[in-house]
Amino acid sequence: MKRSFFQKHAIILIVYALILVLVVIGAFNSEHFLTLRNLTNVMRQAAYLGTAALGEMMVILIAGIDLSVGSLVKLCVLVSAILMDGDPDNVWMAVSLTLGLGLSVGLIHAFLINELNMSPFVVTFASLFILKGISLSITTKPIGRASRDFLMLYSEKIAGIYVIIFFFIILILMMMFLLNKTIFGKHIYAIGGNLSVAQLSGISVKRVRYGVYSLCSVLAAATGLLWLMRMGVGDPVIGNGLELNVIIAVVIGGTSLFGGRGTVIGVLGGVLLLTFTDNLLVILGVSQFYSGLIKGLIFVAAVSLYKMENR
Amino acid sequence: MRESQNPYILEMRNIFKSFGGVNALRDVSFQCRPGTVHALVGENGAGKSTLIKILAGALLPDSGEIIFKGQKHQSFSTRKALNSGISVIYQELALVSQMTVAENIFLGREPRKYFGIVDKKRLKIEAKKLLKQLGFEVDMDMEVGEMTVAYQQMVEIAKALSKNADLIIMDEPSAILAGHELDQLFLIIESLKKRGVTIIYISHRLEEVFRIANEVTILKDGQLVGTKPIKDLSRGELVKMMVGRTLEEVFPVSFNQLGNPVLQVEEISTKTILNQVSFNLREGEILGVAGMVGSGRTELARAIFGADPLTSGTIKIKGQDVVFKNPADAIRSKISLVPEDRKNHGLFTKLSILNNITLPILSKISRWGFTDKKKENEIVERERQIHSIDMTSGNQEVQYLSGGNQQKVVLSKSLQTIPEVIIMDEPTRGVDVGAKFEIYQLIRQLNKDGIAILMISSELPEILGLSDRILVMREGKIVAELTPNETNEEMIIEFATTNTQQSVP
Repeated sequence: MKRSFFQKHAIILIVYALILVLVVIGAFNSEHFLTLRNLTNVMRQAAYLGTAALGEMMVILIAGIDLSVGSLVKLCVLVSAILMDGDPDNVWMAVSLTLGLGLSVGLIHAFLINELNMSPFVVTFASLFILKGISLSITTKPIGRASRDFLMLYSEKIAGIYVIIFFFIILILMMMFLLNKTIFGKHIYAIGGNLSVAQLSGISVKRVRYGVYSLCSVLAAATGLLWLMRMGVGDPVIGNGLELNVIIAVVIGGTSLFGGRGTVIGVLGGVLLLTFTDNLLVILGVSQFYSGLIKGLIFVAAVSLYKMENR
Repeated sequence: MRESQNPYILEMRNIFKSFGGVNALRDVSFQCRPGTVHALVGENGAGKSTLIKILAGALLPDSGEIIFKGQKHQSFSTRKALNSGISVIYQELALVSQMTVAENIFLGREPRKYFGIVDKKRLKIEAKKLLKQLGFEVDMDMEVGEMTVAYQQMVEIAKALSKNADLIIMDEPSAILAGHELDQLFLIIESLKKRGVTIIYISHRLEEVFRIANEVTILKDGQLVGTKPIKDLSRGELVKMMVGRTLEEVFPVSFNQLGNPVLQVEEISTKTILNQVSFNLREGEILGVAGMVGSGRTELARAIFGADPLTSGTIKIKGQDVVFKNPADAIRSKISLVPEDRKNHGLFTKLSILNNITLPILSKISRWGFTDKKKENEIVERERQIHSIDMTSGNQEVQYLSGGNQQKVVLSKSLQTIPEVIIMDEPTRGVDVGAKFEIYQLIRQLNKDGIAILMISSELPEILGLSDRILVMREGKIVAELTPNETNEEMIIEFATTNTQQSVP
């Protein structure tokens, strides 16, 4: 009756096996690929997709969806750049207001889903357009400026490791802790696993939803801040189509779109797989236009492998 | 009078509840004494589930009051009900299948260390202790979805115990159990009673009510018929109170015109559990299949119907070898399946009665891909009359029908393809006494028309009363073939549970 270790962790093993395949291909095709420099760069890039993906993962775990992530990242890049306006004294104010903006957006999503009984798809799909619309009405050209020290954080290292990677690792550990060790985490899995059972068990589904949607949007806002750190200006191009990459990463990572099943390690695998793909395309000199095609193929390949394993 | 002198642990007074103009409960009142088993009976649609949901806080009554442990409540919320010591074990078990045994038991009330961190160690120890009290030892890390239903039910009971419940409501707990599992449940109920726990026991099986209940409350059409001590009632009187008429003959007589073998199963095995199963099914025969949950009965149905691939063995239809790659192949060979779990496998609950019934034959009654509404309505009207389906119109969604009527729709749907062999898996599960009788009559009628029926059932009276022959399964094998006149319930259970095998003649 009990499944073996391999069966239980098949999806994670498959994802990391696919990453290994990419690494081997990369190593054989370019001497630059397996360098410490390139690998730390990949890790740093993974933090961008990963921060948003970990938030999205929680929403998908409760059988919801957040389509607004890309638009929110875009808006947050612009807002934080405008608030900071190149002045080091404004950094804390800009960071906290941007995160606060994320929090409010998440609370609004949860409010509409909880109190007006709207479907997460509809709410966040509308939000995708609204947030994008607000962004583009603010500006269509790069705007605002990061302060110098904020910008420097992008290439700052502690003990030879980028600060951003540190941040991402801490975030991963926190998410693992949250999902596996806390009551909030257990309730997330329970709600996604069987909503009516969760309700009958006296779990406050609404409260969990408020928490999950807020956290997802706050992490999207944080992703916006990371982008400002990298670009130095508020560029309205940032965040285009990001929500789809994020959802693909979460699903490749073995998170069920029906909720209730998924792990942080799996999602990390999904994020690394997509990031390595992009990196490999650049290193091999393949046009970025093929990126979508190749990611789509990897997506289908990964999910079909899971299905075969399940039979 | 002071509230504490109240002899009842629970009183429900003058409860009214309606759904969109339909009265589900009208002025229902009843009382429960502490430390007793109080049976709640009535046909499906009588209002038992509604009453229970109100008690559990899942529904709000339109009016009326609940007095529990001397405290008056206008209504309950789920949490309020839980906190005051009421636990419900629903028929559809309320477990999250992706979570472990221990996590399920303490869902919503996880033991915590600090800052909302789950104390996993204590979680497992406590869960293990509870299950041990019930005489069960299982791996606490096992996901509930990997367990058999009987085990899942024990997890549910452990869950109720963990809440220190004073009142446990069991909604048809026996529907998914068989034989020794049921005895085990009764032992547990007895021990709960000794601890002073009150149990409201809902069941369609009257013999159980007589076996364990102290008092019984009967509901009919949303109204109270009465509450009586069980010792003041005979079986016949209880049935009469429930149905409003007597059931002279539950099992219609057999016509017994057996023809040639239609289905020949020869030494089939599957990856699931089946091991070298062989039998013949003849025209106009009802072949009963008995066995415990997990003995391979359902797997047998799935294998014959082409839902699970065979690893060895052959199936013959009218003497010809057939290989079913999928259920569509089986349907083409005139086999039909009435699945066990009608809500998930038998019906589209959110579609109308009409859409459900005509689905299997849409291609036959359509022209150029357009469906013929008139013809469909005719078919539904015909089916309504034949099977006496109680419905407002063909456009009514199936989910709003009672269990018995849903089952009639399933049967009617499976008959549309004019099958020669029908496999019925638990044809009367969750169906009330009146509808059961109608389904038995229907089975007999099909039988008379020469259709061969393979009937899988946990209800031994049904197996004994309807079958021409009985197969008993255990661990994926057929361990006995019996004839109803020469056997009884004890004998079937003996074969189904112990390591004996019939000496092959």
